[in-house]
Amino acid sequence: MAAIQTVNVAIPAVPSSYTTPSAPSTSRLSPPHPSGHRTLLPVGPAYVNHLRLSLHHAHNFSSLDKHLEAERERLAAINAVANPEVDDLGVGSEDEDEEVLSLDPKEWKKHDYYKVLGLSHLRHRATPEQIKWANRKKVLKHHPDKKAASAAPPSDSAFLAGVNLNTNDDAFFKCIAKAYEVLSNPEKRRQFDSVDPTFIDMEEDLPSEKEVKSKNFDFFKTFTHVFDLYSRFSKAQPVPGLGHIDSTKEEVEGFYDFWYNFDSWRSFEWLDKEVNEGSDSRDDKRYTEKKNKTERARRKKEDIAKVRGLVDLALSADPRIKRIKQQEKEAREAKKKGVSKTGPVKKSKAEEEAEKKKLEEEARAKEEAEAAARAEAKKAKAAAANAAKKARRQQRAAEEGA
Amino acid sequence: MSKTATGTSTPSAIEFNSFAPVVGINFGNSYASIAVLGKDGNAECIANEDGERQIACAISFHGEETYIGNQAKAQLVKNSANTITNFRNLLGLSYSSIPPLSSPPTSAPIIQHPTQPDVPAYRVSVLEPAPAPLKSNVNTPAATPRSEPVQTTRVLTPADAATIFLKSLLTSAEAFLGKKVEAAVLTVPSWMSPAQRAALASAAKDAGIPVTQLLEEAAAVASTTSHTTWTDGVEEGTEIGADRSQLVVDVGATSSTISLLSVRQGLSYVIASSTIPQGANAIDDKLIKHFAADFTKKTKIPLQVAPAPASSVADQRAEARLRLAIEHTKRTLSASPGAATCSVESLKDGFDYTGSINRMRFDMVAAPVYTAIASAVVELLASAGVDSKEVGEIVYVGGTGSLPGLDERVQGEVVTPFSRGIVQGGGIGDPTTILARGSAIQAAMLAGLPSGTAEDKELHDVILGEKGEQVNKVKATTRTIGVLFPTRELGGVFVPVVQKETALPTRRVVQVEVALPAEGEKRVCLEVWEVKEGIRIEKIKAEPTTPIDEDEDEEEEEEEEVKHKVISKEILLGALQIAAKGAKKAVVQVQVVVGIEGEVDVEVKEVGEGAGEPQRVHVPAP
Repeated sequence: MAAIQTVNVAIPAVPSSYTTPSAPSTSRLSPPHPSGHRTLLPVGPAYVNHLRLSLHHAHNFSSLDKHLEAERERLAAINAVANPEVDDLGVGSEDEDEEVLSLDPKEWKKHDYYKVLGLSHLRHRATPEQIKWANRKKVLKHHPDKKAASAAPPSDSAFLAGVNLNTNDDAFFKCIAKAYEVLSNPEKRRQFDSVDPTFIDMEEDLPSEKEVKSKNFDFFKTFTHVFDLYSRFSKAQPVPGLGHIDSTKEEVEGFYDFWYNFDSWRSFEWLDKEVNEGSDSRDDKRYTEKKNKTERARRKKEDIAKVRGLVDLALSADPRIKRIKQQEKEAREAKKKGVSKTGPVKKSKAEEEAEKKKLEEEARAKEEAEAAARAEAKKAKAAAANAAKKARRQQRAAEEGA
Repeated sequence: MSKTATGTSTPSAIEFNSFAPVVGINFGNSYASIAVLGKDGNAECIANEDGERQIACAISFHGEETYIGNQAKAQLVKNSANTITNFRNLLGLSYSSIPPLSSPPTSAPIIQHPTQPDVPAYRVSVLEPAPAPLKSNVNTPAATPRSEPVQTTRVLTPADAATIFLKSLLTSAEAFLGKKVEAAVLTVPSWMSPAQRAALASAAKDAGIPVTQLLEEAAAVASTTSHTTWTDGVEEGTEIGADRSQLVVDVGATSSTISLLSVRQGLSYVIASSTIPQGANAIDDKLIKHFAADFTKKTKIPLQVAPAPASSVADQRAEARLRLAIEHTKRTLSASPGAATCSVESLKDGFDYTGSINRMRFDMVAAPVYTAIASAVVELLASAGVDSKEVGEIVYVGGTGSLPGLDERVQGEVVTPFSRGIVQGGGIGDPTTILARGSAIQAAMLAGLPSGTAEDKELHDVILGEKGEQVNKVKATTRTIGVLFPTRELGGVFVPVVQKETALPTRRVVQVEVALPAEGEKRVCLEVWEVKEGIRIEKIKAEPTTPIDEDEDEEEEEEEEVKHKVISKEILLGALQIAAKGAKKAVVQVQVVVGIEGEVDVEVKEVGEGAGEPQRVHVPAP
């Protein structure tokens, strides 16, 4: 399509008396300059298009349009293959909210480095290359040299004219540098990942024993998530999954074996108290170090205990264990009684289960209906009260008016 | 370690989008410049190793050393016999066809080639480095080799000189790009004969430059000015349409070329052009005469320059020194409104010279050249039948174009709201780099052409081959075609769609907002007219009497004649009416296609939801 020129001229409406004149059928354009009168300068894309038009499209614009469209699509396809979206390794660009941008570099220990580098969608899964890329991206964007030039806040005071008041504009840049320092060092990154704030948040709502025991507890959904969370700390990778209701005995056993022998790289150096900076006292230092060491050991122990507790809990609630035990028992019994009877036994069991399920469902439906009815009644009551209130108010207003 | 951390993969370097390694070279007679495509896809002029963007076309031999560029120019003072300048214009010429010099040469003289018949050449004396000591297998000591370099003479043809010079440009460009140059476009003046062009191309080839095209200077200008970046940073309110007439004022060293270009949505051709034998050298001569006179006044030492007498070496050297020094003076004058100084150490007889010249004085000195250029502009416009008011844009080319006095003088003749190219220093309109940038843009465009199908191949052949000359000859409209919206008053509002001097075939789409009648039928009516544009010179107080005219003149009415653009309806090509859907206003698109034979197709439609069928009218070819 040709470029559309927009003309900014106010054009008044056509007068109602206007009648469209008919052009004389003999009217023609005055003859153009003959061929050869002008010689085109062979430059620019417009010239190339003109040539295409004359050479290949018989001066037909719509044919050229089609050709150009096809050409553009072809180029786009080639570009997409040649440089797949300027491979940013999947770092992407996250929004930087005000909170992140206003971080204080002095409080660096409390920062969420993944968020600072814009990697919060990847977190511990980010590869070193991705971290490197993200860091470059952020540095390019937030370099103080760039900021001083672009965004010096204007000052009203005549005394401060020309003085850059934006002295703290490299705060976020320092945060980026710190974040990169930590995340690019494998040891430091391990320490940070161990106490990753979002992980700690998620750790808060682990399933309790009570929950697990409750009636409508979805074992697989909850525990798959829980073990996925913890599997990041495993030295051995990959970690066997929780599996599903029909997992074989071997799979289930393998899973629990793995988790009872869970070998974690998690450690708690990150939470160490720092040695009092002002004091040179060796004793002071040693004391703090000792305390830190015991604290670390305590935390590690707690962590191990926690994982162990989780596995215990899972084991106790695992429906497959029951099934396996039952099957084993049945197998034993079958062995005793012979093969023939196993069929009906199994069937009756299945029927039993179905019945039980049905009953459960009915109970639930009933409960739900009751709850709905209760809610309805409550709503009606509230509406009635409102209406009464309104009526009273109107009456009062009417009285006042009178 | 975190679970995905891998220690095996190497860090990948971040690669920025790299553009094709292409260069544009403006190879002038006195100065050359190189442009490459920057990271953002814009062409930019680059500096050579000496930090010069304007690289003097000079080669100098001194002892074992060879100087190229501005360093060589400095050699003109004491080593003029071994310094070669102005070699480009001699490319492809025979010795007998070179006009004799009017004044004694300031650089190495042109001689007849000692061995080849009728070939111009330069003879320079150089020191040949001593050969390495001979290695002998026998244990007897060889004859002691000479350790001193020997004085010999070397004969260079203009083509040799051009090859040496172009090679140095190529080295600079490749050093900047960090890669081998894959394609290059060289500028060539329009007056060069095919033989000269061939000589230029072969010199470039010898220098190792992969030349894809020799581009005429006017085309290089059009390449820059039709590029999308040209309209960047144009102030609001200044009109610079996709269809405009462009006046290109190219002030070279020895001659100036003035061309009137018709630029129609990137498609451009020269309407008329003329060349006058006046250029920057004339200004230089006048300026050094001015300074020499000032020197004589201050020191009582006689100094005759431009031309310096052949007998006085001191005067010749003083002239060469002054020529070098005034480069700086001219640049200062172009860049700042204040006075500029010219200082030369030991100008003559051991006396130093420091003088200054202000804008006014300089303009007075240069006035004859300015006037010559301005009158050439007037003549050109008159011969092309174009009024100065119809010029949409002035573009200056060459360093002299940035002298503010020139612009003032030319604007006195051509009233145009827009002129580009009086800002030196890398700006979009920088007159010193326009040609090189245009060449680089062209080189990039040529390198980016698809080359898969037979059609693409044919396209290549036409652009770069001989066949192109036939295809480039086009038909063009003689009069403007536009649409007229009737109004209550006599006449109406005229919107030009296809300007005159537009190459055929052409298509233009114009979008306008039209008010709709408050009552009655909601309709938009328009008439397609071929019009004749003219200029009405009006004395004050006279009321506009022509039925339709577009008063684009904002000038205050003074006791002078005022020019108005006048449009008179000539031929009614058709009339159209569409029913509009909008409430108060309708946005209407008018598409006009003028075919190769002059047939006209007009299509009018309303833009927006629920718009009706487009209305068409066809006018057969005349």
